[in-house]
Amino acid sequence: MTKGEVPNIVGLEVLKKNGVNVEKLKELITKGVGAEFTTYYYYTILRMHCTGLEGEGIKEIVEDARIEDRNHFEAMVPRLYELGGNLPRDIRKFADQAGCPDAYLPDNWESIDSILKVLLEAEQCAIRSWGEVCDMTAGKDHRTYDIAQRIMQEEIEHEAWFIELISKRPSGHFRRKFAGQSPHTGSQGSLIHL
Amino acid sequence: MTYSKTERHPVCKSSELGDNTMMKVSIDMVDVLVGRKNGKLFACDNSCPHKGASLSKGCFNGDNVVCHMHGYEYNVFTGKLENMKSWKKEDTWVEQDMEWRKSGDLILYSISEEGDTVYVSLK
Repeated sequence: MTKGEVPNIVGLEVLKKNGVNVEKLKELITKGVGAEFTTYYYYTILRMHCTGLEGEGIKEIVEDARIEDRNHFEAMVPRLYELGGNLPRDIRKFADQAGCPDAYLPDNWESIDSILKVLLEAEQCAIRSWGEVCDMTAGKDHRTYDIAQRIMQEEIEHEAWFIELISKRPSGHFRRKFAGQSPHTGSQGSLIHL
Repeated sequence: MTYSKTERHPVCKSSELGDNTMMKVSIDMVDVLVGRKNGKLFACDNSCPHKGASLSKGCFNGDNVVCHMHGYEYNVFTGKLENMKSWKKEDTWVEQDMEWRKSGDLILYSISEEGDTVYVSLK
């Protein structure tokens, strides 16, 4: 083998034999991590505007979701590169291709309910987005599936939190121990090194 | 097995495609959405041209398939983008950037029916 020459990658060979369209998978993953990265950015703005007594009540929950969504980016990007993909060179193009809409601060942000609805929309899109990756990889690409389903579990918990705050429907679980705990994608699961 | 793009590939039985139904089939690692709308067959790429979601999870609105992800609508016979649904659930939400919103049209495939079998070619 000469320098720079890439040998046969068995990790990819088995995917192709299992019928995974690796190019399509890389596209979906890039869109998914794009959504996580932009969400981290926009949730920063949303959290900053959780002000007053009402805002103070949800500020930490928004922070939990914000850091965990950033951790989702960290958890999946290495896999993108393992599959032979890469992050776009230009961050603007990266944001434009994100699979979910940007969680823009609404005009009536003084209403905490309005901020919560934007947050909920973001989590619901993320669930659909990672659901697509899970559907594509279940039983065929065990590594990507494992990462995507862990991310999806946390997105489902995020959705449950915001629904509980909006409609009082119980989410079924308690608060995080600390911001960025990421019980499914975090250090306990050894998916990220942060 | 690799299929040539012009080859007609049997994808399902005619009885599996009732009127106003659609389903996803795979041809050589390409996911194809096939369906029957008001008695007429259609076939297109299953990936939504907007952000790649699976159109088979969507629904019909007239002759349009509605993507479950962001609600964009595409005519299943012409492939044209017919509705670029806004993400705004409230008037106070700020509209998305046009670069994010833009989408191409559906990729259409040739579909035919012979006997009790439906065929698609990826041309």
